[in-house]
Amino acid sequence: MFEPIARFFSAKPPEVLPYYVAGAVLFSILMIFVLINLPSRARKPLIALVTFLAGLFYATEFFFPIDRATNKNFLTDYLVPASKLGSLLGGMTLTLGILSLLRVHGRNIARLRAGWYNSVALLVAMVSMVTFGLMDKYGANDGAKKVFNVLFEGMLINMDATMFSLIAFYIVSASYRAFRIRSIEATILMVTAFLVMLGQVPVGNALTDWLPQDGTFASLRVENIKQWILSQVNAAALRAIAFGLGVGGLAISLRIWLSLERGAYFEKEI
Amino acid sequence: MQHAFEKIWPVLIVEVLTAVIIIWRIVSAQRGKELFIRRIPGLNAIDEAIGRATEMGRPVLMVPGIGGFSIIALQALSIFSYIARSTAKFGNRILMPVADPTVYTVAEEVIRDAYQAEGHPERFEADSIRFLSDRQFAFASGVAGLIQREQIASSFMFGEFFAESLIFAETGNMVGAIQVAGTVHTTQIPFFIAACDYTIIGDEYYAASAYISRNPTMLGSLVGQDFGKLLIASLCVIGSVAATLAALEVPVLGTASQWFINLFTIR
Repeated sequence: MFEPIARFFSAKPPEVLPYYVAGAVLFSILMIFVLINLPSRARKPLIALVTFLAGLFYATEFFFPIDRATNKNFLTDYLVPASKLGSLLGGMTLTLGILSLLRVHGRNIARLRAGWYNSVALLVAMVSMVTFGLMDKYGANDGAKKVFNVLFEGMLINMDATMFSLIAFYIVSASYRAFRIRSIEATILMVTAFLVMLGQVPVGNALTDWLPQDGTFASLRVENIKQWILSQVNAAALRAIAFGLGVGGLAISLRIWLSLERGAYFEKEI
Repeated sequence: MQHAFEKIWPVLIVEVLTAVIIIWRIVSAQRGKELFIRRIPGLNAIDEAIGRATEMGRPVLMVPGIGGFSIIALQALSIFSYIARSTAKFGNRILMPVADPTVYTVAEEVIRDAYQAEGHPERFEADSIRFLSDRQFAFASGVAGLIQREQIASSFMFGEFFAESLIFAETGNMVGAIQVAGTVHTTQIPFFIAACDYTIIGDEYYAASAYISRNPTMLGSLVGQDFGKLLIASLCVIGSVAATLAALEVPVLGTASQWFINLFTIR
């Protein structure tokens, strides 16, 4: 049943590829035009139908029994083309994102707002990275490759690492506030965190090293208390949260799949 | 390719049963059944935080995380839509930095619609919703800079957050902003609890839009969610009893228990 669709979306020989690309572009433009001009009353059922079919596709593919030999069912081969559709949409919206950046920072520069030179730096960095990135990927110029390396490996990666390392300092200030003993809950949190931290470091383990390795009193060794907190108390709480999130996710997915979602997206019943 | 577990039917049955319960509660709520939901302090604090920003005349920050376009982002936008309605009413300035271009496109529409629904389309500023970067720490530094420069009064962080969560929360704390956060990532919840004034934990995140809007469809779904949790909790209790009976090798009951355990064991 799906053979013609699979044939249509399969890789095409170079001599016919431009026609397919041109056809796809024309079809996309036509679809965008039609969707924009559709009256709201017609657009909502269309969105509901597409959402339902897309959800049905993924749910069926996931639950339909598979052929053990190939680890596939009749829909598995279409997962990649379907995910490519998502990537295509993402690519189109990236253009809108870049336009937003240009709009905000272009205005900052044009009106010489406070810190306008930061906007200049941002736009120069963005254009340079794109230009040298493309030259690095598609060009044969060694100079461009070197510049791209300086920009990417020498600057961007290091700036990322700098931001990441800030977290260490933020953890200290946040935990200082969190661990201040102001209530019973904060005290329990403080004591628990203290025990887990002690269990993580050699000095903590050394404190109860004199206790036997086996038997009843072994449970009082710091590393065993830490392990008990993590595997019994913490894991149980995390699993409970995970169950709640799973069911919550299922509920909101159902609402969106069946177009029952209200509020921000559809104010009235479809 | 990832598929349902090899033992597919028990999983399918539990999921379908949960889905049926949720839909049943939605339908009964739509028919006018009164439903009670418990108080969630973090969500009650949203109005308080907006009120504070109005009094101080400083902006309200909304961060939808760095995740892509998913149900998590949709839920975040649903909460932000409510916040935007309030800010439209009171004339607050909003800032919404976004890391994913698809989320950015939808966010712009959702916030614009919220202003229109409140009857103040002229108050909507397109520049208030900004795409910053899809790189985690470039986005983090952009948001941290925005918080410092704009001296925000309130910060709402809902969505998918990873290592950058603490950077946002601590920077917000430095400028004295009242902060409400919620994420589905359990690894980031402790950071938010430590640094924010209110944190939405676990499935409260998915309850937010129902709690805020009090829409019957969403309230019904929320109650259905609770029934689903009850079903899973019951299965956990039965599983624990079954595991004990199987371990003790109780005649007949032990064999039945082992069958039950096998039914839900994932290889």
